[in-house]
Amino acid sequence: MSKKDLSLLEILIDDASFINWAKNQNQNDVAFWNHWIEKHPDQLETIFNAKAIILGIQFDKTTISDNKIERELDLVLAQIEPEKNISQSENPITKTAKYIVMATALILIVTFGYNFLPFNSTITHKTVFGEIIDLKLPDGTSVVLNGNSQISYNKKTPRIINLSGEAYFKVKSIPSTKAKFWVNTNDLKVEVFGTQFHVNTRNDKTGVLLDEGSIELLLSNGTTKKMVPGELVSYSKNDKEITHNKVTQELSYSLWREGTYIFNNTSVYEVMQNIEHAYGMKTEFIDEELKNQKLTGGIPNQNLKICLSAIEKSTGTRIVLKDKKLLMFKN
Amino acid sequence: MSISSEKPLWQLFIEGDKNAFSSLFKTYYSQLYNYGIKISSDQFVTEDCLQSFFLYLHKNRKNLGEVNNVKSYLFISFRRVVLKSLKKERQFSSYEETIESNQSFGFSPEELKIEQEISNTKTTTLVILLNSLSARQREVVYLKYYSELSIKDTAEVMDISYQSVLNTLQKAFSKLRSEILDHEISAVLQKTSKK
Repeated sequence: MSKKDLSLLEILIDDASFINWAKNQNQNDVAFWNHWIEKHPDQLETIFNAKAIILGIQFDKTTISDNKIERELDLVLAQIEPEKNISQSENPITKTAKYIVMATALILIVTFGYNFLPFNSTITHKTVFGEIIDLKLPDGTSVVLNGNSQISYNKKTPRIINLSGEAYFKVKSIPSTKAKFWVNTNDLKVEVFGTQFHVNTRNDKTGVLLDEGSIELLLSNGTTKKMVPGELVSYSKNDKEITHNKVTQELSYSLWREGTYIFNNTSVYEVMQNIEHAYGMKTEFIDEELKNQKLTGGIPNQNLKICLSAIEKSTGTRIVLKDKKLLMFKN
Repeated sequence: MSISSEKPLWQLFIEGDKNAFSSLFKTYYSQLYNYGIKISSDQFVTEDCLQSFFLYLHKNRKNLGEVNNVKSYLFISFRRVVLKSLKKERQFSSYEETIESNQSFGFSPEELKIEQEISNTKTTTLVILLNSLSARQREVVYLKYYSELSIKDTAEVMDISYQSVLNTLQKAFSKLRSEILDHEISAVLQKTSKK
C-alpha cells in the first residue's frame, strides 16, 4: 500500500503523535492536534472515529482456571498417546533396539505389575457428598456427576461406563463408525448413539430420563425398552417393576447439573430424599404431615446450609442438623 | 507472549515436542475458550471443539504449512472449527445466519471495565449499545479489543480485508458515539426536568 492511497483514518490511527492527542498524553501533541482540528472542521467525524478506535472498549477478561486447563490438557494428551505408540512402531528400528524396548517392557511388568500399565487399567471418577463435577471422557462425551456418585470405565473401552449414583450424560456421537455408548447400572444397561440423558441409581432402582435423541434400555430381566425424549423410565431388578412417566417440564428433573434442584409440585419427602443422597444425611420428620407437603421452585444444591435454608423458607419449616441427621419441624 | 518467543515454541511443537504442545495449549486455552463461547454461546460445543481442534493440530502438525503469527493462526483455524460444528449441529447455511441466530458476540455488563476511556457512560448502557451493533461489528470489536488482535490480524481471522475491518470499526464507533451522545443528552434533560 503506497502512502497516498491511505485514508486519513488509517494515517491517524497509526500516528504516534495523534495517539498521544487521543489519550491526552503529551502537551505538545495535544496542542498541535487541537490547532489542526480547528483548521479542518470538515474532518471532525473522522478525527473522533479515529480517537474512538484508538481508545476502544476496555474489557474485564475472564480466564479459565489452571485446574480446568490441566484437566482438559490431560484429556487431549490421553488421546494423543496411542497414536504416538503406533508411529513409534512404524519407525524403522534395528533389531537390537527392538529387543531393548521389549526387555524394558518386561522389566516394567515384573516390577510394577499390570495395574501400572496403560492398558487394562480402570479409570474412576468419584464425587463426595455435595460435590458436582464436570467430566469429559476421552471420546468427547460430557458427564456431570452429582454428589456421592461414581463412574468408572476401562481405558481400552471408554464408551462403556459403569455408574452408581446420579449423572447426566451428553454423548458424543461418532457418525463415521456408529460406535455405541453404554451406561451400565445394577439394574439395566443404557445403549446410546449420541444424545443427552440422565441416569439415577438411587433408591435401589435405576431411573433414566431422556432429554434428546434415542436410547434403548436392556433391563436385567432380559427385556429391552426403547425410549423417546421427555420420557422417564424407572426399573428395579429386585421388584422387577418398570414405571413410565412423561416429564412435562423436561428440565425439572436434571437441572441439578446447573447447580440447582428444580422441584415441581414435589412432596417434601422426595425433596429430602434428594438431599439425603447428595449429602449422606438421614431425615427425621418430627411432624409426620410435613412429608406430604408439596414444594415448587428451585433450590441451590451446592452448599448444604444454603440448600436447607431455602427449603425452610419455601416450606415454612425448621430443619436442625444433629449428628448427620436432619430433624424437620413445623415452624 | 511475544511473537518472537513463540516461533521457536511452534517449531518445537511441529517437531513433536510434547512440552511445547502443552505449553501452547495452556497459553491459548483461555483465549480460544472465550472466543468459542462468544461464537457458540455453548460451553459443551466450545469444549468439544477445543478438544478436537488441539487433537487435529497435533495429528496434522507436519502439514500445517508456514505459520507466521501463532495467535492469529490459532484464532483463524479455531473459528472455522466452531462455525463448522454449529452449521452442522443446527443446520445453518451461512456465517451471517449462524452468528445472528445464535446471538453470537453478545456482551454483558460484567465483562466491561467500569472505567471506559471512550465515555463516562454507565457500563450497563454501553453494553446495550454494543449489543445493538450487528454481529459482524460485534465480532470485530471483540477481536480487536477483547482478544487484542491488530486490525490486520482481525481481518485475517474474519477472512475480510483490512479496509473492511476499518470501515466496520468506523461505522460501529460512529453509531456508538451518536447513541452515547443521545443518551447523555436525554439523561441531562431528565435531570433538568426533575428540578
